[in-house]
Amino acid sequence: MTETVAIETIMRTLADPTRRAVFERVVRSAEISVGELTRDSGVTQGAISQHLKSLKLAGLVAERPEGRKVYYRAEPEGLAPLVDWMSHYAVFWRDRFDNLQTLLREIDP
Amino acid sequence: MNDVATLTGHRKIVVDQVFPHTLDVVWKTLTTPALMGRWLRMEPKGFEPKVGTRFTYQTTPAGQWDGVIRCEVLEVIARERLAYAWKGGHEDNVGYGSLLDTVVTFTLSAVETGTRLRLVHSGFLLPTNESAFENMSKGWTQVVQSIDALAAEQG
Repeated sequence: MTETVAIETIMRTLADPTRRAVFERVVRSAEISVGELTRDSGVTQGAISQHLKSLKLAGLVAERPEGRKVYYRAEPEGLAPLVDWMSHYAVFWRDRFDNLQTLLREIDP
Repeated sequence: MNDVATLTGHRKIVVDQVFPHTLDVVWKTLTTPALMGRWLRMEPKGFEPKVGTRFTYQTTPAGQWDGVIRCEVLEVIARERLAYAWKGGHEDNVGYGSLLDTVVTFTLSAVETGTRLRLVHSGFLLPTNESAFENMSKGWTQVVQSIDALAAEQG
């Protein structure tokens, strides 16, 4: 079951750089355990678990317990609310401002 | 850079940058169709920096929408502010190409190092149709990259 989560929740959840890094690692793996995520992260396992909990609440990851381990995978639908006009234009304007900078240099060196 | 208003239902994009050029030059790039076309990568049809002027931009069509952005100049204060309505989309579309009723506002101000240009693109509504995103898993790592920038500004 996929719950609908407000964009604000997703944004707030991903605003934390460490949490975002955790999420991106989950995205890149098919499935990953807390232990694997903690390794090379420079953060404690407890902290990683907290971040995973927030990501789960935001509908961005799902978990699968197996024995004593819990595996996490990304939930693609979780980001769905962001794939809209707004994310389109956020990228659009940033890109266009770069163009504007280039154009200004050309016409007013 | 970008931020997202927390107002429920409506949100906006803000891009704010200082350019080492005079107000005059920056204003010209915002109000001269040929120059607008060069940095926006689409030339406005029928644009004039006059309140009430209706003009269009041709963008990528989606579904029943022809890709035309319909604009109307709402405010012009030379070298200070330019605002226009930015509408498009079709009710049958979801995500990109869905109904869009927004306003784009450029505000200029002189700063020591040149001109500060602030763009506010406002009026975005929460997506209403969740089924829009069924095919999300395709290439969604790219999405992560684009939200990265969005989310970073929230921090």
